[in-house]
Amino acid sequence: MKLSRRAFLTSAGVAGAAATGLVSLPRAARARPVADGMLAMLVDTTRCVGCRACEAACSEANRLPSPAKLGEESVFETTRTTDARSYTVVNRRRQPSNGRAATFAKTQCMHCVDPACVSACLVNALDKLPEGPVVYRADRCIGCRYCMVACPFEIPKFEYDRPLPLIRKCTFCTHRLREGKLPACAEVCPSGALQFGKRRELLEVAKTRIYQNPNRYVHHVYGEHEVGGTSWLYLTDVPFEQLGFRMDLGTTAYPELTWTFLSAVPFVLTLWPPFLMGLYAFTRSRERAAGEPEQETRHE
Amino acid sequence: MNETVAGRVLRRSWVREKLLLGLSPGEYARRLATPFNVVAGLILLVGLPAIVYRFAFGLGAATNLSQTNPWGLWIGVDVLSGVALAAGGYTLASAVYLFGLKQYYPVLRAAVLTGFLGYFFVVVGLLVDLGQPWRIPYPVIYAYGVTSVMFLVAWHVFLYLSVQFLEFCPAILEWLGWKTVRQWATRLTIGATVFGVILSTLHQSALGALFLLAPTKLHPLWYSPFIPIYFFVSSVIAGLAMVIVESALSHRIFTEQIEPGRHADLDRITLGLGKAASVVLFTYFFLKLIGVADGGHWGLLRTPLGHWFLVELGVFVLLPCFLFAHGVRERRVTLVRATAALTVIGIVLNRVNVSLIAFNWNVPDRYVPGFMEVAITITIVTLGLLTFRWIVNRMPVLREHAEYRGAH
Amino acid sequence: MSHHDIFSMYSTKGLEYLIAVVFLLVFIPFWRFVNGAGAAEPAVAWEAPRWVGQLADWFRVPAHVYFHPGHAWATVGDGDLVTVGMDDFARKLVGPVSSIALREVGARVAQGEKAWTLVSDGKSVDMLSPVDGTVVAVNEEVARSPERLGGDPYGEGWLMRVRAPRLAPNMKQLLSGALARRFIEDACDRLQALTTPDLGRVYQDGGLPVDGMARALRPGDWDRMVRAFFLT
Repeated sequence: MKLSRRAFLTSAGVAGAAATGLVSLPRAARARPVADGMLAMLVDTTRCVGCRACEAACSEANRLPSPAKLGEESVFETTRTTDARSYTVVNRRRQPSNGRAATFAKTQCMHCVDPACVSACLVNALDKLPEGPVVYRADRCIGCRYCMVACPFEIPKFEYDRPLPLIRKCTFCTHRLREGKLPACAEVCPSGALQFGKRRELLEVAKTRIYQNPNRYVHHVYGEHEVGGTSWLYLTDVPFEQLGFRMDLGTTAYPELTWTFLSAVPFVLTLWPPFLMGLYAFTRSRERAAGEPEQETRHE
Repeated sequence: MNETVAGRVLRRSWVREKLLLGLSPGEYARRLATPFNVVAGLILLVGLPAIVYRFAFGLGAATNLSQTNPWGLWIGVDVLSGVALAAGGYTLASAVYLFGLKQYYPVLRAAVLTGFLGYFFVVVGLLVDLGQPWRIPYPVIYAYGVTSVMFLVAWHVFLYLSVQFLEFCPAILEWLGWKTVRQWATRLTIGATVFGVILSTLHQSALGALFLLAPTKLHPLWYSPFIPIYFFVSSVIAGLAMVIVESALSHRIFTEQIEPGRHADLDRITLGLGKAASVVLFTYFFLKLIGVADGGHWGLLRTPLGHWFLVELGVFVLLPCFLFAHGVRERRVTLVRATAALTVIGIVLNRVNVSLIAFNWNVPDRYVPGFMEVAITITIVTLGLLTFRWIVNRMPVLREHAEYRGAH
Repeated sequence: MSHHDIFSMYSTKGLEYLIAVVFLLVFIPFWRFVNGAGAAEPAVAWEAPRWVGQLADWFRVPAHVYFHPGHAWATVGDGDLVTVGMDDFARKLVGPVSSIALREVGARVAQGEKAWTLVSDGKSVDMLSPVDGTVVAVNEEVARSPERLGGDPYGEGWLMRVRAPRLAPNMKQLLSGALARRFIEDACDRLQALTTPDLGRVYQDGGLPVDGMARALRPGDWDRMVRAFFLT
C-alpha cells in the first residue's frame, strides 16, 4: 500500500489531465465486489480421472466442435491450452511421488472475483455478473485484445482466423444457470471432482477436506486469494506449480493496479487548467512588463 | 480571370491553384517523378495490397500474433511509438503559447501538423490492428468501460485529434482564404492549447498505464507503478527530438518555402530545443533509476535482458543527454540534429521494449513480426510522410501566407 | 510483487531518496554545463537621434532591379538568364573589399543560400543568392580587381550571371520599385539606430562617411553587423 500512496501523490502531481467528466473516475471509493454469495466451482484434482467428459459436455452445451482425440490417451502427451474452440481442457501431469500414476487438472476461465479483463475492457464487453460469472458480450467487442494482455491466466482467446473475430472463453454456462441447471462440466463429471455452489460454502468444503485429510492435500486452496480471489477453486495433492499453476500472481486484484492512476485523472483534470492558465497569465504579464509589444501574438 | 505563367495564359481554376500547385496536370505529373516518390510508390505497391489482404483474410493470416502474444508490431510501433513521436504538437504549443517562448513560433505549425498527422495515422494503424475496426467509435458513442485505462486512451485520442485539427485550422483556412472563419478559429488557440496539453499529458501517461495490468508479463525492470510517468516524460523528449528532426528535414526538402534569413533562425531554434531535450533526458534518467531502486531488482541487471535495459538507458538516454548538452554548448547544430535522430530511435526502442521485448519475456512462445506486418507499418509511415508533404506544399505551414503576414 | 519487510522497505526508500538527493545535487552543475559559455548574441542598442537629411538618398535603388532581403540584387535578361550582384547599400556598408570569392561557372546556387564571400580587412562576410539556378558566367574583372565594384554596382559591378529555371517563384521573394526603396529605407533606419551619441566625427557634415559605414560604427566588430544585414 505504501507504493500506491506514493504513486498516487506523484501521479496527481505530475500526470496530465483528462477530457471531460465522461472519463471521470467510476466512483469515489473503489467498491470491491462481495465474493461470498458468488457462484463458484471447486475442482478437486485428486478425484479427477482424466475422462474429459467435461470437455465434451462443454463443447456440446456451447455449440462448439467436439474435442479432439476424445477417448485417446495420446492427447495427454502434450500440454494443451484452451483456445477459441475449446473453452476447457484437461491436462495430465505425471507425478510419481504420491503413489498415483498421474494427476489431471482442468483449465478454464477462473471467473475472478475482481477480474482484470473486466476492468481492462474499454467497452464493457466483458462484464462480471453479481452472481459470479464473467460473461462476454459479442455485440460490443471491438477486438482490441487488451483483455488478453490483462488476464494473468491467459484465458481469453481470439478468433484470429475469422473475419468477424470474437473473444472466446468459458461462460460458466450462464444460459444453463438461468434455467436452474448446473454448468455442463459439473453435471457430467463422474468422479465428483467438480462441485458447484456458493463460493463461501465451497471454501468451507475445501478447507474441511484439507483439515480432514492433511496428508493428502496441499494446504492451500488455489483461488482463495490469488489475484484477489477467483470463483474457480482448486485442491490438489501435489504442489500447484507442478500442475502448471502460477504461484507468483500475488493477492492484489488486478483492477487495483490501475485504480491509482485512474484516481489521479480527475485531480489532474482539475489542477491542470488553473495551473496552465496561471502560467500563461504570468508569461503575458512578464512580456508586458518587459515592454515587448511586437512579440505579442495578436489574436484578431 | 486569367493569369500569366511563363508567358502562357491559363484559365484560373481552383483545382489547379489549390491542388496542383498552380501547374497544369501534365507539368504536375512530371514534377512527381522524383527518386523519393519512386521509393514511396514501391512501398505502397507492396503495402496497400498487404492491407487489403489483412482485411480479406483476417489477422491470423496477415500477422504473427498468437493467443499468447495478442499485441504486436502495430501496437508497439504504429500506436505506442506513433503517439509518443506526435507529442511535438503539444510540447511546442505549450512552449510558444504558455511559456511565451515566441522564438519557437517558426516551427510550431509544422510541429502541430506532425502531431495531428501522427495521431491520425495512429488511428489508421489501430484500424488495421483491431479485430472489428468499424466498431472503433464504440467507446465514444456506445459502450463505456470507465474502469479501463484504454477507455481513457480512446477518448483522449478522439478529443485530441479534434483539438489538433482546431489548432491547425488557421493554416487550412488561410489556404482556403476563408478569412472570417479563420479569425474565429484563431481565437480558440489558447483554449485549444491548454486543452491539448491536458489531454496529451494524460493519454501519454495512460498508454504506459495500460501495462500496469500486466505485472507478471512485463519484465520487472520495465514494469513499475511509475510507467505512466515514464511514458509521459519520454513523450516530451520524443516531441522535442521529433521537432528537431522534422524541421531539419523540412528546411532541406521544402527549402523554397523558407523565407531568406530564416535558415539562421532554425539553428537557434534547434539549439534551444536540444537544450530542453538534454535537461528532460537527464531528469528521465534519474526517474528510471528511482524506479529500479523502488523495484529492488538490481540483480536482474546482470541478466541478458538486464543488459538490454542498461543499453536502453545508457545509449539511448544518457548518451543523447550529454551529446545534446555538448552540442548546445559548442553550438554544433549538426550534432544536435544527429542526437535528435538517435533519441527518436531510442523512444521507439523503449516502446517496443515495453510492448514486445520485455513483454512476455519469460514465455517460450515469443513474438516476431511477420513480413506483412512490417510492410504495413512502413506503408502507414510512408502515407504519413506523403500527407505531410502534400499539406506543406500547399498550406502555409513553413511559410507565412502572403495575406496574413505578421498576423500571428 | 515482492513484499518488503520493514528493514528492506527502509533501505529501499532510503535508496530512492538518496538517488533523488543525488539528482538535485547533480542537476545544478548539469544545468550550468548545458547553458555553457555560449553567450547570447549581443543585443543591438536601439536608441539614436535621427540624422539630418535622409540617409536613404545616398543609396541608389534603380527600377527593374529586384532586391533580395540579404542585399543582393537580380535583373532579368533573356528568358531565364539573370544577372546578380550586391546592392549599393551593401557596397557602402562594407567599404573597400580586398577580395571576392565567387562561385565557379556550372555551380548551382539556391535562393537564400550562400552565393559569394567578401573579404575585407581580414574578415569574411557571405552574401545570399537572390535566385536558384546554375552559374553560367562570372565577372572575372571584378573578381580580379574588387575596387571596380564601387562605381557601378548595378552595371559594371555585376558579379554573376545565373540561369534560373524557377524564376517565377524566386521573384515572389524579391522586392522592386517602391517596395525596394522602402526596404533600403528600413535598412537605413536600422543603421541609424545603431549609432551612439559619442561618435563625434560622424556628425560634422550631417552624414556618415559613405564608404565603409560598418567599420565606422563598429571598428572591431563590423563583420558581425554586416552579417546581420546580409542575413548570413
